[in-house]
Amino acid sequence: MKFELPRLSRREFLSKSTLGAGLVLGAPSILKAKEPGAPSDDIRVGFIGCGKQHEVLFNAMVNIPGLHYVAACDIMKTRSKGTAGRIYKRFGNKPNMYTSAEEMLDKEELDAVFISTPDFWHAPHTVMALEAGCHVYCEKMMSNTIEGARSMVAAMDRTGKLCQIGHQRRSNPRYLFTLNELIHKEKLCGQIININGQWNRALSSSQDIVYGKPDHLPKADILREFGFNTGADKTLTEEELRHRFLNWRFYTALSGGPISDLGAHQIDIFNWYLGAQPKSVMASGGRSYFKGREHFDNVMCIFDYDTPAGSARAFYQVLTTTSSGGGYYESFMGTEGTIEISEREAYTNIYKESGADSAKWDKAVSRGLLKKEAAGQAAGGADAIASYESAPPDKYALPGGLSKQPHTPHIENFCAAVRGEAKLTCDARHALESEAPIYWVNPAANSNQIINFTDEHLHA
Amino acid sequence: MSSKENNCSNDLGLSLGMITLRVWLGIRAIQTGVEKFAGTKSMDTAVKIDGAPNAYGLTETTTGKVYALSNYNGVPAPLMDKFSNEPLIPSWGLSLYDTILGPVLIILGLTVLLGIATRFSLFFMGLVYTSLTFGLILIKQDAGVAWLGIHMIMVVMALALAKYNKFAILKKW
Repeated sequence: MKFELPRLSRREFLSKSTLGAGLVLGAPSILKAKEPGAPSDDIRVGFIGCGKQHEVLFNAMVNIPGLHYVAACDIMKTRSKGTAGRIYKRFGNKPNMYTSAEEMLDKEELDAVFISTPDFWHAPHTVMALEAGCHVYCEKMMSNTIEGARSMVAAMDRTGKLCQIGHQRRSNPRYLFTLNELIHKEKLCGQIININGQWNRALSSSQDIVYGKPDHLPKADILREFGFNTGADKTLTEEELRHRFLNWRFYTALSGGPISDLGAHQIDIFNWYLGAQPKSVMASGGRSYFKGREHFDNVMCIFDYDTPAGSARAFYQVLTTTSSGGGYYESFMGTEGTIEISEREAYTNIYKESGADSAKWDKAVSRGLLKKEAAGQAAGGADAIASYESAPPDKYALPGGLSKQPHTPHIENFCAAVRGEAKLTCDARHALESEAPIYWVNPAANSNQIINFTDEHLHA
Repeated sequence: MSSKENNCSNDLGLSLGMITLRVWLGIRAIQTGVEKFAGTKSMDTAVKIDGAPNAYGLTETTTGKVYALSNYNGVPAPLMDKFSNEPLIPSWGLSLYDTILGPVLIILGLTVLLGIATRFSLFFMGLVYTSLTFGLILIKQDAGVAWLGIHMIMVVMALALAKYNKFAILKKW
């Protein structure tokens, strides 16, 4: 007599085995996590979106053990082929390629999906993947609308699956160390009263993206099917649709513009470090150079905060017409010191106010928490008027850096959470709490009005 | 002092001059070739706080210079990009030049230093420096052209002193 076990897919097994899950929770010592990288610990990964940002993520994750790349999806076939080629070259297996995310999620047995599609597709793809039983790593900004972002949080709660948002600084050892050790434990900044952040990007890096091989770009009907005509008040030509496909960041119906595209990373750090959401925002923006674009090319905004330590305000600017002014950083200015931190070590500086307790800073140096770079030096010169000048601050540096690509620790955290070994550093709920104020910058600039936040504005 | 003694004294000076030129040109070429195999090796160590490795994963990176075949770059990458855009340099020629430049410099440096077919070695060394000069003219590196011009003068001086070549392994050619 031939006996066959009932055939269940892994996903069906997992979704039907709640009894088993109870047993697992009840016996942690028996079912201890396996060695990272062991074959049975493999995470089967699929990609939705295979463009430039996907390449950044892929390059950051190729050295993480235990990831098995099985599928790649993009409406532009040359991109998914490129991803498949890179996977084959590096790992020797050919992933299945798709142009439809639904089809990929339906056919593949995936544990985790990495989403790096245009912003207006983040929410639909994330919800789709979570409901298909996958854990999701989705690039920031969560969505081009706050409603979209809220739908992601709801889907995460509903499905019980993990949803990490790509605010990679939240897993960066330099950022974690600075917050936990220097700001919280050592209180080197004193009372943080002002925050200043910026991302200044040169004109040369802000131009329209042009693709050299137009034949490889999706046809008009595909682009319409995937919503690249959203928000247009006329029927778009194939050329116009392709411009939107390549330059979706310039269109209000497809993205949040520079303030969300670049500013989201840094305004997230304001909120995370202060442990608070702002109470209001005022903003100004303009199409000062790229007059034909729908979004502002330059935006400046001020957030007001009430923190446990007192009130604080944060200024942020995103400029797409100049790279001068020190690149991109977030500067936390306190009564005793300033920490100017950036994803780039080169833009990171720490300053001690002349009146701060030197013994405390010297002790931090001797313990290895800081490196002293230089004593403050007065600029001097004939134009210096003594009564105008403050004593110059001493300059310090973080004691070390990150020896991996900036996105790697965040993806490692996601993978560890998928294996049950860690908690996400930026799940969708926390990401939205931090991102929510950003959705109101463009409206504040458009209306020239201060927006005082209520729960309606900020809730997840 | 007799004229014979005078000649001996002059010959000694010219012989020493020739050896000096051979040593300089030989070492110059050998080390330039060897440097094309140089690279950096980074080592990350955990930052210590209170004497113990930190829990965050902060690292300090120390870099050192290492030599390896895998580091080889005949034409430095920044110059390679510039040369690849030059219409007078075919891509196959650039690729070939990139492959052979380092080994050629080392071989010619050794033959000049050891005195193996010194005249032909110096002549070929002059051709190599001429080829480098051609490339630098194309990308308007005038200082480099002048620098190589000094090398050429030294090569010609060595060729002019070839009959005073001493301590050579193979004097023919």
